[in-house]
This record gives sequence, structure tokens and C-alpha cells, in this order.
Amino acid sequence: MARLIRTEKEVEGRYTEQWVVVEEDALEQWPAGPRETVGRPAARRDGFLRARGEARYTEDVQLPGMLHAAVLRSPFARARVRELDVRMAERAPGVRAVVGPDVDPLTDEPAYQGAPVAAVAADTYAQARAALALVEVEWEELEPLLDPDEAVRRNQLVSDPGRYERGDVEHGFAEADLVLEAEYRTQTVVHNSMETHQSVCEWTGDDHLTVHISTQFVWGVREDVAEHFGLPEDNVRVVCEFMGGGFGSKNGPDAQTYIAAELARRAGRPVKCRLTRREENLDAGNRNATIQRLRVGARSDGTLTALEGEFVNANGWGGWLASTGGPMRLLYACDNVRTVEYGAKLNTTPMKAFRAPGFVEGTFGLECLMDELAAKLDLDPLELRRRNYADHDAMDERPFSSKNLLECYRRAGPHWERRAEVRAGSDGPWKRGVGLASQVWYGGGGPPSYAWVRVGADGRATVVTAMQDIGTGSATAMAQIAAEELGIPIDRVEVSLGDTARGPYASISAGSSTIPSMGPAVRSAAADAARQILEIAAQRYDREQRLLSLKDGRILSSDGGSWPLEEVTGLLESGQILGKGSRGPNPTGMRVLTFGVQVAEVAVDVETGEVRVEKIVAIHDVGRVINPLGASSQVEGGIIQGLGHTLSEQRLLDPHSGRNLTVTLDAYKLPTIADVPVIVTDLVDEPDEHLTNLGSKGLGEPPIVPTAAAIANAIRDATGADVRSLPISREEMLRALREAGERTPERVGAPSA
Amino acid sequence: MELLRPDSLEAAQQALGNGSLPLAGGTELVPLVRDRIVHATTLVDVRGVVPKGVDGTTVGAGTTLGELEVHPQIPHALREACRLAASPQLRAMGSIGGNLLQATRCWYWRLKSPCWLHGGDRCFAREGVHREHAVFANEPCASAHPSDPAAALLALGATVRTDRRELPLADLYRLPTEADRATTTLERGELILELEVPAPEASTYLKAMDRQRFSFALVGVAAARFADGVRIALAGMAPIPWLLDGEAGLDSATPLPQNAYKLDIARALVRRSLAEIDR
Repeated sequence: MARLIRTEKEVEGRYTEQWVVVEEDALEQWPAGPRETVGRPAARRDGFLRARGEARYTEDVQLPGMLHAAVLRSPFARARVRELDVRMAERAPGVRAVVGPDVDPLTDEPAYQGAPVAAVAADTYAQARAALALVEVEWEELEPLLDPDEAVRRNQLVSDPGRYERGDVEHGFAEADLVLEAEYRTQTVVHNSMETHQSVCEWTGDDHLTVHISTQFVWGVREDVAEHFGLPEDNVRVVCEFMGGGFGSKNGPDAQTYIAAELARRAGRPVKCRLTRREENLDAGNRNATIQRLRVGARSDGTLTALEGEFVNANGWGGWLASTGGPMRLLYACDNVRTVEYGAKLNTTPMKAFRAPGFVEGTFGLECLMDELAAKLDLDPLELRRRNYADHDAMDERPFSSKNLLECYRRAGPHWERRAEVRAGSDGPWKRGVGLASQVWYGGGGPPSYAWVRVGADGRATVVTAMQDIGTGSATAMAQIAAEELGIPIDRVEVSLGDTARGPYASISAGSSTIPSMGPAVRSAAADAARQILEIAAQRYDREQRLLSLKDGRILSSDGGSWPLEEVTGLLESGQILGKGSRGPNPTGMRVLTFGVQVAEVAVDVETGEVRVEKIVAIHDVGRVINPLGASSQVEGGIIQGLGHTLSEQRLLDPHSGRNLTVTLDAYKLPTIADVPVIVTDLVDEPDEHLTNLGSKGLGEPPIVPTAAAIANAIRDATGADVRSLPISREEMLRALREAGERTPERVGAPSA
Repeated sequence: MELLRPDSLEAAQQALGNGSLPLAGGTELVPLVRDRIVHATTLVDVRGVVPKGVDGTTVGAGTTLGELEVHPQIPHALREACRLAASPQLRAMGSIGGNLLQATRCWYWRLKSPCWLHGGDRCFAREGVHREHAVFANEPCASAHPSDPAAALLALGATVRTDRRELPLADLYRLPTEADRATTTLERGELILELEVPAPEASTYLKAMDRQRFSFALVGVAAARFADGVRIALAGMAPIPWLLDGEAGLDSATPLPQNAYKLDIARALVRRSLAEIDR
């Protein structure tokens, strides 16, 4: 029976209260451990399509008569458009439509470099670009605000500060044996998805719109676009079959969709609006820089008595206030905690969600601080973390639905104990060390999410749901879940997704939520189909239904009968078995989180500041693992992206003009394969008994959360130097070594001159 | 735009000049033309007419970096400089002659700021972000020369033969001046044909970059030992490939606030390179 409930919905650490209608989730969880298909490695179903170039991305969409858009963007971090004359551009060859600042979201008061001001649609992209050059603009350049601390002083914020307090923080510091303060900084990094932001918009009549878009949320795009153009939602169809990366930057329609749709409406032709790599670096979001002023109080045995943090997020001209203080509030048992988070509104590109937004940055600060505390107290860093283990969520005094962080710590033990051996591997200027950091993040998913499962006469099944696989392999996981429940091999299951006109509502693919949101819905749909098959089989073979089950593509009776599945479904000829399923509610009164720990081994050349990460062991607790192969791939991807954040990536702005200097990939340095260390993935794989019919949480984000802190802590272990600022570039590494050398020369392996 | 493919050197020479430019691997010129930093109405593909390959100590200017990095007759320093440059794809296209003529990676220059090197009157890098910039001869312009092979060839004492003259590699470069902002002495339409690369007793090239591969040098150090002494040259440290007068030569650097770290790195790499060629 459908049930109306008021529930808390979480995406990317942001909670909203909302009504949802959920079906009872009557299915028992499968026992822990690998099943027939679920829990066993499954090759990515679209791997060959992608490798052979047959997967059709938005980039590949070519519609008859399609025009190409080019966007005029502000060259200034802050400016006013005094005059804008598009008459020449309108008469340029191939031009079919031009829009200016009167069209939302184009603006005549750009507040960051790259803000869109006008746009042209022409037969070819080159013609559109040529026409842009004919747009005459009189700019009034204005003084940009670029300093986040100054923005806080001026109270120029994107929203009210986030304030949190529990216990008595002053008292907590008063009873500490040791109080430690440090300031940490993280830089702005850009998602730089391989496929840039892009949309193709096509109108049918004046009230139906189809949007092909590289997106993490086809339904969210549908809702926003319908509202923008005043259309019924069902008149908007959103399609995203394959996607070349999003990482949080593609959760909404973004300007390119509205621009393409408006130009398409005016030109009466489909329009593609595709960001170039440079535009991607200017106007597609980023992980905001942070300044973290942290303070910890502890007793000499390591018990935390107080934690305090002031977090300044350099938001840019918008976005939202990411939970940089989240790890401080959630990770450890500490009665007295106070955090304040400011979102500085600056004349820079607005931030967007980026793979565990806030927590990646906040974990760097907190987990480095914990290691500095351990050093001061002469405690083993792993032991310090064990002693402050949180056995419940102290923010809301709620139990965790499941938490196996102690098991993660236990598994980290042997890797951690390699410290002496690794240090002994130091050689000349190369100093080696080991560091670790804990991970906490969300990832429980939630309703509403729906799926259908269709079984044909041939005994093959199709999962139909309008979710999107953003490249994580979630479609493969859905096929595994359906195959498991239907008792058929995975190669008899197809998955139809990525089209709001072709399946039911599905979750956003953000906040590590696709598997925990969609997986239970797919299982429940498959179970519905399986139940119908068994009902039919019971009648066909004259057995009691309770005796029947599905396995290996056959219907088995516990009294010994066995028939091929297609013998029953074949009776239907062109008919189909249709199962429907939905995501049940999250457990009430419980906090659903993911946990983990990473252990990094590094080598540092103390003369040149070169840092080489040699190995990272990633141990995470994300509930039941559906596809160990896909899971290790997610872990590797997260760690590699984290490695870039830690060592080499940074968006650099000219300090006077606010102009972005790193808009190309030679200047913005993503890691290469030569930078990638040995990565060992170890997942606890213990189903969360309270969470859905699967017990699975998400894994997209957890692996990137602790990487930077684990590396920084390994650097401290190797050299005694405290790196407190990302990226750990040559200059930052050499600065930290110099500082450490001035403090305790004997600990650092710098050569005598 | 027009692309010509002359089949003789004479035809190529006739086609050059008058707003046309020679094109070899295209890894540098094509992006510069695309970004309208370099203007040309005609590109002249010289791959068919510029010598290629290695013959003793003579290297054809059309030889790719990919060929040089594995060639047994090439001194170690140049092989390493090629191997540590760019990516395999780029090294398979880029010619050694073209590599010597690379423009700076200064982001202000690449993003077409009206800077001193573009003929303006300010160096935006000096006042702005210059962590990757020059520590020698960085006034008035802090641009850094990006070529790894150029530093190696400078240390090796290479000679350049063009279609008009022969000159020491050191003389191929000039510091830009108020009157002339060019960083090479090559004349309009002049083509580099061959390099003469003396065989050292020992040589090496060491490179510090922001990641393990595919990044321009923060600091590149080439060192070569000959019977009459040792020569050291630097990449990424000055507006042109920079000859260094021993480790002590680093003391005369004029680092900017964000790039003094380059001297720490250079000091270590110079010592290491000298130790390496001393074996």
C-alpha cells in the first residue's frame, strides 16, 4: 500500500524535508556476501560501446537542420554593459538568431569572468563565433572583490553563515591538557569533465521541447526547463544516454540549456550549445577554495574535549554553502563542538557541487589537525582516532543505521604498521613515510525513485527507468540486481535509461545516491515480475506457488520439478510480464553515513620538493557491494581525482583583475597516468541492515574524501614538515620543509649547504 | 587560410615571407594561429624539404622528438630532454627545429594580455601570478622559455645551420629589448635545416615539473662534460635558454616573490647533474 510520509531527503550533505509517497518495502535483504550475480565482478555493459566510439554522447547528437550557438562572455570579473549592439552580428553569414542580456540567464551586469552576456546561433559554429566578434559592446569595468576574508568582513555572503554548536566549547578547551590551533587552506579546483557542458534543444510546435543534455539529473532538468519556459513538465523531454563526466557540475540545466532553447525557439531549428574547454574552465563551476581556522582541545590520553572551526568558503558569485565543517561535526566523539561557515560572495565563477563538496576540504583540515595533535601528544595517530570513535551521531543524538569504521581501522592496521619499513626505504634526499585519514560522508540515497522490469516471452528482461548512468557503471549494477532477483544470467538483462519519456522518475546521480536510491527500486520491480512469473507457473504446472523459485533461468519446484523460464513466459507470445517497483523510505530516526580510512605511502625529495605518492590503500564501508569491479573502479577514480586536488591542480586568478589564468589543460594540471600510485581497494561489504532491501550505500564520493589528508599526513611522517595548504606544489613543499627545518633541524633530511 | 606543400627547398623559400609561415609538426604553430597570437595567411608545410634523421653528429631539423629520444647516436642530455617533454603523441609530431622556436608558456602572453612581450608596456606576470616564470633576466618581462631540448643543445654547444647561415645555438636566441621584443634572431622566412651536436664525454638533463609527465619545466638543468670543461644550461628559468656559469651562477638570479623556490630546485639539480656526468 502506498504510504504518505514526511521525510528528510539528503543530497550532497544538504537536507530538505519533503513529502514522499512510498510503497512498503516488503522484501527481506539478501544474506551478506556474494550472491549468484550481485556481489560478483561484472564487466561494464557499455564498455565496448564506449571504447569503440559507438556510445552516443550529447556531443554526438546531430539533428537535421541543427544550428550551433556561441556565447559572448564577460572578459572582466565585474563589469557593466553600457551598450550592446547586435545588429551587425544579426546580418553576419549563417546567423539565424541572436539573444542579448534581456534573455534570462544572460546578463548586462556580469559578476565574474565568463558570465554569459549574449549568444548567437548560426549554421556552423565558426559562423557563430565570427558573428560574436561583430557584437559591439561598451563595457564599464568595475573593481572586483576577490579576497574571501574581505567579503566576510563586508558581510558579502551567498547566504547566512552556517552556525552549529553543541556542548560547552569554552569549558571543553578549559579542561584540555593541550590546545592546538592551525590554519589550513584549500584551493579552487575545476571539475574539467572530459565532455564539456552541452545541450541540444529542439522544439516541436511551440509547446513541446526536447533537451539532449550531458546531465546528472534528467528529471531535475525537466522540472527546471518546464518552469523556465512555462510549460507542463510532460511537454519537456530530457535525454542523456551516455555521459562524459559530471562530478557534481551537471546537476542542473545550466545557462547553455536555456540559451540553446531560446535560440532554437527563435530560429525554429534545433540548436546545440556546447562549451569549449576554456568556457568549461570559466563557467561550469568548481570546488571552492577554503580557509579553515581550526582549534582542538584534548586530554593527554588523546580524548577530545573541544573542537572549533571557522570556515570561509570562497564561493564565487553564487552556489551554496558547502559543509566544510561537516567532518568536524560528525567524525569524532566530542561533546563540545562549534563551527561557523561563511560563503564569501566574490567576483569569481560560482562554485558547484564537486564530489563530496565541503567534506573533501574539511577532512583535509580536520585530519591533518588530528595528526598534528597526535604528534604533540606522542600518540599513535590511528590509536588517537580509535579513542575518539563516535558510536552515534552526536549532532542529532541518533544512532547510525550502520557503521563499520572500527573494522576499517582494523583492516588498515597491517598497512599502517608498515611505517618503519617504509621509512627505512628512505634513500638520500628521498624521505619516505606513511599517513592515514578517516572518511565520513553521506551516501544513503532516498525516495522517490521508481523502476519497471519487463520480462518478454523469450525469458529476457529489461529494466526500464529514467535514471542516468553518469559513467559510474550504475546501469551494470541495475542489471545485476534484476538478474539476481529474477534468477537469470546478467546477459539476459537489458537496461533502458536516460530518457524522461521512456521510463519512470528516478533519482539524481549526485551525492553517491544512484545505487542506494535506484537499486532497491529495481530489485522491488524485479521481485514484482518474479512473483507474477511464479503465480503463472504455479497455475501452469499445478504447484503451490510457495514451492516455486527462480534460478539459473529456470523455474524450480522444491518437490523436484524444473522448467526453463521461457516455457512459462513463452505462453504469453507477444505479451509481457510487467513488474513495477519503488524505493522505500530511509530508516526513521537514524543517520545514514558512509565511512572509511585511507593509508598513503609517499616519497618526498626534500631538496626539490617533489612528492611522489607510491601507494594508497582505500578501505571503505559502504554497505553491500553490488559490483566489486565497478566499485574498485570508482575508488581508483576518486583517488586519482583526489591526487590532482592534493598535488597539482589549481585554478589561478590574476590577483588584480580576477582573470582566470588556467583555462587550458596545459596550465591547469590534472594528474596523468604516470602520477597514479598503486591503489588497493578493500571494501567491508557488510549490508546496512536498516537501509532498504539491499543494504547498499553509495561509493561515488567516499574515496576522494580522505586522500589529501592521508597524503599530507604521510608527508609529515616522512619529513616532519606540516603542509597545510593545497595543492602541495613544489613551493608549498619546500616552504613547509624550510619551516620544519627552522623548528627542528634534526628531523628534516635537508642536506647541509 | 592556405596550406602549401612545396616539393623543393627552393620552392619553400619562395613561398615563405609575405605573411606565410613554415609548418612542421604543428604542435606549437597551430594553437598559436588558432588563438590568433600568430597571424598567417599561408602556411608552408616544410616537412618534405627540411632534412630529417641523424647522421653522426648531424641532426636534421625535421627529426621528431620521438625519434631523438630513442636514438643511440644522440647524447644522453638531448635524449632525456626529448623524453621528458610533452606527451608521446606530441613528441611523435613535434620537430626539433620547431621545438627550438617555441614561444613562452606565460599565461598572460598566451591569453593575449596586452603585455610587454606583445608590444605593450607592462609585464602582468611580474605584478600578478608568476610561480612558473623566469628568475634570470626577468625585467621587464618575466616570461620563461619552455624548451627542454634547447637547454640540452645549449649545454652541448650545438650549432644551427639555416638556409642562410651557420650560428652557435646560443646566438639563435636574444633577450627581447624595448625596440625589438623578439626572442630569436631568425630572420623572416629563414629556415632551420640542421643541427650540429658535438659528442660530449658525458651529459644529462634533469627536469622538475608539477606532475610526473606532460608538463613544462619549472626547472630544467642540462649539463655536458667535454675535454675542455663542463657547460650547464637551464630551461624554464629565463626568457630564453640560459647558460649558467656553474652553481654559483644561481646567486645572480633575481627571483620574484612567488618563484624563489625555483632556485632551491635548481641548486639541487645542478649538483646532481654535475655528479652524474662526473662518473
